[in-house]
Amino acid sequence: MRLLLFDGSPQARGRFNPLAWSHPIWELRCGITTLAEKLHARLNPDDVACFVPEYMAEAYAQRTQWKVNDTAALASEDLLAVNARVKAASLDVTGTGPSEVGLAQDGEVLYARVAATDAGKLNRQDFEGFLESAKAALPAKTVLLPTYNYIWELILENPGQITADFQALGRSGIEGTVEQPTAIRGEGKNVYVGRGAVVHPVVVLDAEGGPIYLDEGVQVHPFTRIEGPCYVGRKSILLGTKCREGNSIGPVCRVGGEVEESVILGYTNKYHDGFLGHAYVGEWVNLGALTTNSDLKNDYSAVSVILDGRHPISTGSTKVGSLIGDHTKTSIGTLFNTGAYVGAMGLLMATGKVLPKFIPSFSCLLDGLVTKGFGKNSLYATAKVAMGRRNCQWTQADEKMWDAVYEMTAPARETAIRRARKTMFRA
Amino acid sequence: MATAAERVRAITGRILGIDPADIKPEHSFAVDLGAESIQSVELVAMFEQEFGIEMDEDEALAVETVGEAIEYITRLCREQGVEI
Repeated sequence: MRLLLFDGSPQARGRFNPLAWSHPIWELRCGITTLAEKLHARLNPDDVACFVPEYMAEAYAQRTQWKVNDTAALASEDLLAVNARVKAASLDVTGTGPSEVGLAQDGEVLYARVAATDAGKLNRQDFEGFLESAKAALPAKTVLLPTYNYIWELILENPGQITADFQALGRSGIEGTVEQPTAIRGEGKNVYVGRGAVVHPVVVLDAEGGPIYLDEGVQVHPFTRIEGPCYVGRKSILLGTKCREGNSIGPVCRVGGEVEESVILGYTNKYHDGFLGHAYVGEWVNLGALTTNSDLKNDYSAVSVILDGRHPISTGSTKVGSLIGDHTKTSIGTLFNTGAYVGAMGLLMATGKVLPKFIPSFSCLLDGLVTKGFGKNSLYATAKVAMGRRNCQWTQADEKMWDAVYEMTAPARETAIRRARKTMFRA
Repeated sequence: MATAAERVRAITGRILGIDPADIKPEHSFAVDLGAESIQSVELVAMFEQEFGIEMDEDEALAVETVGEAIEYITRLCREQGVEI
């Protein structure tokens, strides 16, 4: 069986911004693994193909071994197309069997199983057409499959997912080095220290509340306290970190200060002190010293998030921190409001005030006001340097993708710039 | 009505905390007037608001002196149909 991954409508993808500007939703981590890895483990396909928005196809193809937007993958095999927002643990569909389409109550395709004998009946010119023809030509039924609908759900489910993934992976014990004195609280079977990982002396691994998984090559520096459940990805470094429960960090991150129930994607630095709670942070982000986010309102009411620059959406949760897109950099002392949306490729220079709740992508923030800044070419030059420092390459395909994101995010940014210019001028 | 040069000097003085009368066309924003990179971003925003024009970031930040800024802004006003 060939697994076909797709994200759903642009509106559905938009609810995972600012991360979805530069990632397919299945590439996002929740727990130890990404949504795609969970679906793959659940379905055990012979191979995988995926369908992403055209603007990111070339850039995404550089970092995956799967076929990307290749309509040849729609022919001649048993196919199972799965909407990546479906929670893998609830997906009770076998890879082979009679053709069947599972629909959400609003008619969105959650999965489509297409027997090889039926493939010829479907439109194979493009993936949207393929799904539409499957919906029309094959037996369809409404199914009650749980899905992720907003990015903050990945934050809120992260602690439970770490525990579930730890059990599913079935690894425990010390394959790396744990220098003494180090205290392991809770049951030893709830701790895994991967090959090449080094836990320095005077570290506390507290697995009483959940498992701790330190992946290959992780370094945990002295005076770090890690509370489980926690996942630290390959080659990440914790620097005297107060690593509270429910964090997924890495790969290749540098993290210090206090972090709680947050997901930090690869190659991001939060080297210094400062609190990050219930946050989802993209790749290649640099958080300056004392960057801090609020994740709880003073009146304990539900946190709202503004995803489109205009309409607040209630998360229904009293704890949601900041959502930070790829390649954004913050200055020392940056303060984010509860449920802040911080777009990708931002350059934020703080002056001690709490920043606005919605910061568009490619914003240069001065004194809390959005400006044009130094332009996107300057941001690309910085990204190139940052990636070079970790032996990664900024490519033409990356630039093309970010050019498209720049255009797509222009209306929200231009509104914010116009508003800010008036404020600056009045001051 | 103030001239474009006077308006550029007024904005520059306000952002950089300098008496506009002390600002000369040959002055470099960075070298002579001490503008930090952040202040150059503020200057671009304020010039756009003052004159009602749109500047290209790369072009605007390539401007080095007050005189070049006056020329650049005058040209943009002409191109964008803004009376000065």
